[in-house]
Formats: sequence, C-alpha cells, structure tokens
Amino acid sequence: MMRRRYAQGHRFSRRRFLRLLGAAGVGSGIWTPSLFSAAGAVVSTAAFEEISASRSGIAWRHVSGRSPMAHLPETVGAGCAFVDYDNDGWMDIYLVNSGPCDFYEPSPPLRNALYHNNRDGTFTDVTQKAGVLGNAYGMGVAAGDYDGDGFPDLYVTQYPHSILYHNNGDGTFTDVTAKAGVAAPGWATSAVWFDYDNDGRLDLFVCRFVDYSKAKLKFCGDLITGERHYCIPSIYDAMPCRLFHNNGDGTFTDVSKESGIMQSRAKAWGVVAADLNNDGRMDLYVTNDTVPNSLFSNRGKGRFEEIGMLAGVGVSSFGKARSGMGVDAADYDQDGWIDLFEANVDQEMYSLYHNDKNEVFTDVSNPNGIGVATRLMSGWGLKFLDYDNDGDLDLLLCNGHPDDTVEKRIEGVKFREPMLLFRNTGKGFQNVSQESGAAFSKPLAARGLAIGDFDNDGAVDLLISQNNDAPILLRNLAGRENHWLGVRLVGTKSNIDAIGAKITYQAGDLLRHKFKVGGGSYLSSHDPRMVLGLGKRTKIDWLEVEWPQPSGKKERVSDLPIDRYVTIVEGEGKWK
Amino acid sequence: MNPVPPIADRFHNLAFIVAVILLCVTANGQVNSTGPSTGGSSGVERGIALASKGRCREALPILKKASGEITTKDLKYDVLMSTARCAIGLEQTDTAVRTLLELNRSFAKDPEVLYLTTHYYSELALKASHELAAAAPSSAQAQQLEAEAFESQGEWDKAITQYKKILEQNPQRHGIHYRMGRLFLTKTPADSDDAKKEFEEELKIDPNSAASEFLLGEIARQAGQWEESIRRFGRAIKLDEGFVEAYLALGISMNADGKFADAVEPLEDYVKMQPDDPAGHYQLATAYARTGRKQDAQREMALQQETAAKAPRTSPQQ
Repeated sequence: MMRRRYAQGHRFSRRRFLRLLGAAGVGSGIWTPSLFSAAGAVVSTAAFEEISASRSGIAWRHVSGRSPMAHLPETVGAGCAFVDYDNDGWMDIYLVNSGPCDFYEPSPPLRNALYHNNRDGTFTDVTQKAGVLGNAYGMGVAAGDYDGDGFPDLYVTQYPHSILYHNNGDGTFTDVTAKAGVAAPGWATSAVWFDYDNDGRLDLFVCRFVDYSKAKLKFCGDLITGERHYCIPSIYDAMPCRLFHNNGDGTFTDVSKESGIMQSRAKAWGVVAADLNNDGRMDLYVTNDTVPNSLFSNRGKGRFEEIGMLAGVGVSSFGKARSGMGVDAADYDQDGWIDLFEANVDQEMYSLYHNDKNEVFTDVSNPNGIGVATRLMSGWGLKFLDYDNDGDLDLLLCNGHPDDTVEKRIEGVKFREPMLLFRNTGKGFQNVSQESGAAFSKPLAARGLAIGDFDNDGAVDLLISQNNDAPILLRNLAGRENHWLGVRLVGTKSNIDAIGAKITYQAGDLLRHKFKVGGGSYLSSHDPRMVLGLGKRTKIDWLEVEWPQPSGKKERVSDLPIDRYVTIVEGEGKWK
Repeated sequence: MNPVPPIADRFHNLAFIVAVILLCVTANGQVNSTGPSTGGSSGVERGIALASKGRCREALPILKKASGEITTKDLKYDVLMSTARCAIGLEQTDTAVRTLLELNRSFAKDPEVLYLTTHYYSELALKASHELAAAAPSSAQAQQLEAEAFESQGEWDKAITQYKKILEQNPQRHGIHYRMGRLFLTKTPADSDDAKKEFEEELKIDPNSAASEFLLGEIARQAGQWEESIRRFGRAIKLDEGFVEAYLALGISMNADGKFADAVEPLEDYVKMQPDDPAGHYQLATAYARTGRKQDAQREMALQQETAAKAPRTSPQQ
C-alpha cells in the first residue's frame, strides 16, 4: 500500500494522485473552440451531413433486448458494414442485430439487414431475398472474398456461435458455416479477413470475448435494491481468440493452437491486421478489455509471437490493463511504418501509438490532444480516414458508454456521447469536432463504424451503428472540396482483396502512401476501395502498388484520371 | 442575524447525526454490552456490569484500575470498550482517546472499534470546529475550514469564493492558491488553465511548494509538454526528495519524451520505494527495453504482471 506523503503540508495519496492525473487537462485550452478558430486551418462548414431514415430508406433499428438481468452482450452490439455485395460498384449496407440465445428470445423476431444501394442516395431492404438474417445474438460483421470468386462473403459474429455466409453472386447467400468449420463457439466479437501465411488466400481471425452464458451471469449492481448494471468484464474469465486457415476448398482449419494465438487469453473487442514491422507478414493488434492488449507479431511459418507489453501497446502508462475496444492502424505520419490507435472506456483515455520501428511504440495521444479530449469518453468504432481529401489521414472516433446507468454513478460521464473528429495537420492532430457540423454534437450510443463512399463522389462517408437505436448514415461534404482518385485493387497472386497492399502516389509536390489494412474499427467492415486525396492538385503523376506477399510485386501506373474510381488488377500493369 | 457562525452551520447536520449516535451508545452513561466475559476477576465483572447499567461514574474507576491487569483477550475487549463508552459519555476526553488508541492497537480492524472511533473522532473534530468558530470566527483558519467543508461537499464555487476571501485578507497565506488550483482540477470538467494560474501564484508565495510543482508538471504531462513536465517533476523531487509520486511521473515523462536512459534512475528509485505498484515496473521495463537491457526489462515486466495481478481492476476508475 502506498504510504501517504505530505508535500509542503499538502497530503498526497495514490488514489488522490490518480484522480488528479485524471482530472488534469480536461477542459484545457487544447480542445477549446477558440484555439481551433485561431488555428484557422479547418473547414468552415459542416464536414458531414446526416441522411435521415426517411431520405435513405433505412428503417431498420438495432434492438438490444435490454433486460433487468443486464446481460453483457446487450450493451456492446452491434456492428455494420459497407459492402458491394452485388459488384455493381455501389456500396451496399449490412447491419447486425440481436437474436435468439439462452438469455434472450426476441418477440417479434429480430433480423440483420442488407440494404441495396439504389445509386440515388436511397437503399432497398433485400435481406429476405439475400438470406442473411442471422440466427443468434448478433455482434459484428467482416466482409471478405474468401473463395476468390469476385463476390464478397460475410462472416457474421454472434453469441454463442457465428455464421459464414457465402455470396452466391446472384444476390443471395448461403450459410456455409458447418462446411467451412468456422462456427467459433462462444461469444465472438470483431473478426478480420487477412492472409497470415502469404498463400494468397484470405484466412479468418475471430475475436472472442469472455466465457459467458446465462448460467454464468454474475450480479453487478445495487445489493439493496437489487437493481443491476452491466458488469465490468474483469469478473468473467478470458477466452482465446480463433485463427482459421483457409484451405482453399471452401473449408478452414482451426490453427489457433499451433499458431500461438490460443496461448494468449483474451477479452477481445477489436482487431486490425497490418504489417507492423515491415517484414512482409501481416501482424494482428487485438484490443482487450481488462487484460493487456495483444500484439501478435507474425514470425512466419504459421507462428505468431505475442509482444504487446514490451512493444508498449499492452497496457496504460501506469502499467494497468485498460478496456481496449475500438482499434485501427495506419501510417498517419508517413514515415513508412504503420501506427496504431486504441479506444478505451472513460477515465482511461484513448491511445495513439506511434510506431518507433523495431516493434516498439510510443503513446503520443497527449501531445496530439487526444488524451485530454477522450478523458470522459468510451470509444468503439473508429477509423483513420482522409475525410477532407487533403492527402493526410485524419481520425474519426465514435463513442458511448457501455453502461446505461452510468450517469447516476459517475459525474460528467454520459451513456450517449458525441463523435470526435481529429484533423491531421501534417504536424499532428487537431480536434475539429466542434466546427465540423451538427453531427459532432449529437449524443450517440455509437458502437460500430464503417467507412465507405456510398454515393461514389470520392468523399468517404460514415455508417454508425448504435446500441438499441437506429443507425446513422453521414454523407461527407468536406471531401468534395478537394480532388481525389479512388482505387480498387484486385489481387491475383496475392489475396484477391489485396489486404496488406501499399499504394504510393505522387501529385505534384504531394507524395503520399497508404497501406491497406484488414479490419479496424469495432465489429464493422469497410468499403474495400482506397480513396487517395490530392488536395487542390488537378493531376496525379503516378501511382505505385506494392502487392502483398506472396507476390510482393511493385507495379507503377501513370496517365491516371482524377475524381473517379479506377480498378487495378495485379499483374496487368494498368488501370481500368 | 444568524447567531450560529457559518463554520458551525456547515457541520450542523453531521453534528446532529453524531450526537444521536453517541446518545444511543451512551444514553445516561449506559453502555450496551453483551455482558461480562467469563474468567475475569469479580471486580472487573462488576465494573462492566455497572457500565452496562449506565452507572459509568461508579464503573469507570474500577475499569481503569482493572484494565492493566487483564490478560484474557475477550475480557480485555469488554473492559476497554466499556471504558471508552463510559469515558465518552462522561466527556472524559483524555481517557476516551487513550482507550480508543489502545483498542485500535489491540483489536485492529475490529468493526465495532472502528465504528466507535470514527464517531468519537468526528465529534472531537466538530467540537474543535465549534471552538474555532466561537473563538476566532473571522480568522483565516476558520474561513479555510469553511472552504474545505464546501469542498468536501462538492460545492466548488462556494469553496473558491471562500478561498478568495482568505486571500483578500492575507494574500501571502501559504496553501490557498494551491488548494484553489487543486479544486479547479477536481471539477468536472476540470479547468486546467485556471488551475495552472493558481499553482503558479502559489509558487510565487511559496517557492518550496513541491505539490504545486508536481501538479504543474502533471498539467504539462497531460498536454504532452514533456520538457515542461520533466522540469516541474524534477523540481518537485528536489524540493521534497520523499515525494514518491514525482519519481514515477518524472520517469513516465522521460520515457514519453524518448529519454529512456534518463528515466532509469527516477524509476529505479520509485520501484524501490513502491515495489507493489505495477506502474513503476512497467515504466522501468520500458526504459530498460529501449536502452538495450533486455533481461532487466523482462524481469521488470514479470514484476509488473505479478503486481498487477495482486491488484486486479474492479472498476474502470481504478
């Protein structure tokens, strides 16, 4: 126990110290509007515009089944996706809902939703025809073309088992879970498609949360009144995540044990796949709740080594595991090394981890004003994206506390919280939420976040799924102010979704690169196309694709158009 | 005009509650007891019996005399509790305090002992505050006590007003700017700008305020101003070399600033002082790892895991 100190007559204790550490900085000048105004470099009009359900036609709502028993899954779902399921070049929308399980029997029945993009800003519900309703308590979704037939398939994570929907290419899907062997019994959360063994096929990583069932429900709440609130997950046992190797014949092999993934007990919410040490192999960063985050460094030959603690991304600077939830990876500072982001629960602050190379990271959230701004927030869906197409990767964070009774218990913390937008100035991040429109003052019970350009205008839009509420569709207005080039990569020798690819491009004085990571955010899946921001430049000089292994080939293309999408197929050396 | 000085007013409700509790315990000097334990001398049993009947004036001399001779633990407990309750009832402060101290030594963590101690010490605090209010109602000490009472009740604005009044009367009084600064940090949301100003003012009055240096360092650390935070934490340690938290904060800032070799010394000092804190081990492991001391890093990381496991997190706020 820490002994108490008197410092010049002022008593300090560990608890007080931590409280003061927590309090210091919140509300400081770093995130006051006046400072941003003084900076003068931010967009002056709303960056995003909410498209109402009446305009989009998306009438579906998430239903959590909130019960007096406060089952933990009720408060953490669910996810969403932008996915072009019919390959018509327009992003469709998939939304995950709760469903029947041992603690919940929804009446009337609930279902997931697939909305077809009508190319005019509206969507049509095609779920029944597509056959992607879900069949248990839904959590998230990961889209990926695991069989390389050109049509994205859907892996829907659920409690207590998940589903693999194979895309038949005719607007319908088939549940192939049993044949594929990827049911992943237990409580699955986020999942990601990526090629861990560089055989050119997409493998599947599935996050699992705690060992949970109705029978294992524990009491958290007021012992006198009997009123329950959602438990902190530390009281439940951790479970290992799952890694499934794609056999190339429509089946998968569970390689969790031999790969080393199973050795780490996780309470995993989020995952992103990226080559973090530039060795040509895809690594995994997994955010865990109340146990240290996992950084699985891919050592080749099918083996991963967990190095999160020594890499500096396992726990807080106080050596304590936090509530890792949302996650993403991107080279925000263009030094050639992919950086990481982790969102946590209130009082813990989120972390922006700069990649210092050699498998070590430094938390730079404080100098970027991120720590201060997120002190009272709880973060789920998040993504690096160049929302204003100036060529720099910005940061979008969706928030909401997991416990709907938190306002009674913790001053200043809200169940519904607004999103945060940090603009990359080239020298660091700047919180521009307050001048980015009404969307950033609206309190949300946000969970999933998918990014994608649903109207094909080159400005990447947002889809936010809410817990027990309707999803939010936000059209990006800021990105239209600049020029851009959209690129769809199709791997032939490397994996068809080109997860792990790197695009480098030159537009006059602007030289930029972008890595195509797998997954990221929370329970959600994104538009697979990459939008390259050009700022005011009207010409792109050249573009180079470094395809992932086993190809590793570099292809440079020129004479590119701007302000439109192009497709580059591996090995063809041209765009179309 | 309110005849009750404000400071006493602040404590009025608590005083009432304590008074009621103490009346329950010591009504007419009667002591609630489960009865004398067996095995003691008849004199002791008589003292306890008298106390249980409320005849404290007769009981107390017997109990006082007997207390040094008792060897049976149960009997000692009954004797000391009866003595304490009687002494409280008869307002024999010296005896009450001495007996409570003895009870806390001999029966540490006993709920009944702690309960009685809490209430009696609260009453003493109330008495002292009433005396202060009566003797020197406009003194800086009385005003500070009132401000602290506001603070403890979360009435930040009233507390700040009160602190400002003190400074109007005595602008050089030590600790007031510091307290105001701390208050600004405690508010939700916190106000770091105003807090910073107050800590800087405190340092003008009291350049040896290590706590002010520390919190200025912490404000800088939260803003990622590593150079400033390192300077502040370093100065806090110079001013008070036993200021444990400053060593950790200095090490954290140095690591964050990439000064891993520099961070080793304060962090080694910290883990010596606080071997059970996972934070120190984690930061030291980081410093070792980044300076090529792999084995040392692994040892500290193992200690981090060991110490973190001993203090598992039960709420997000811990």
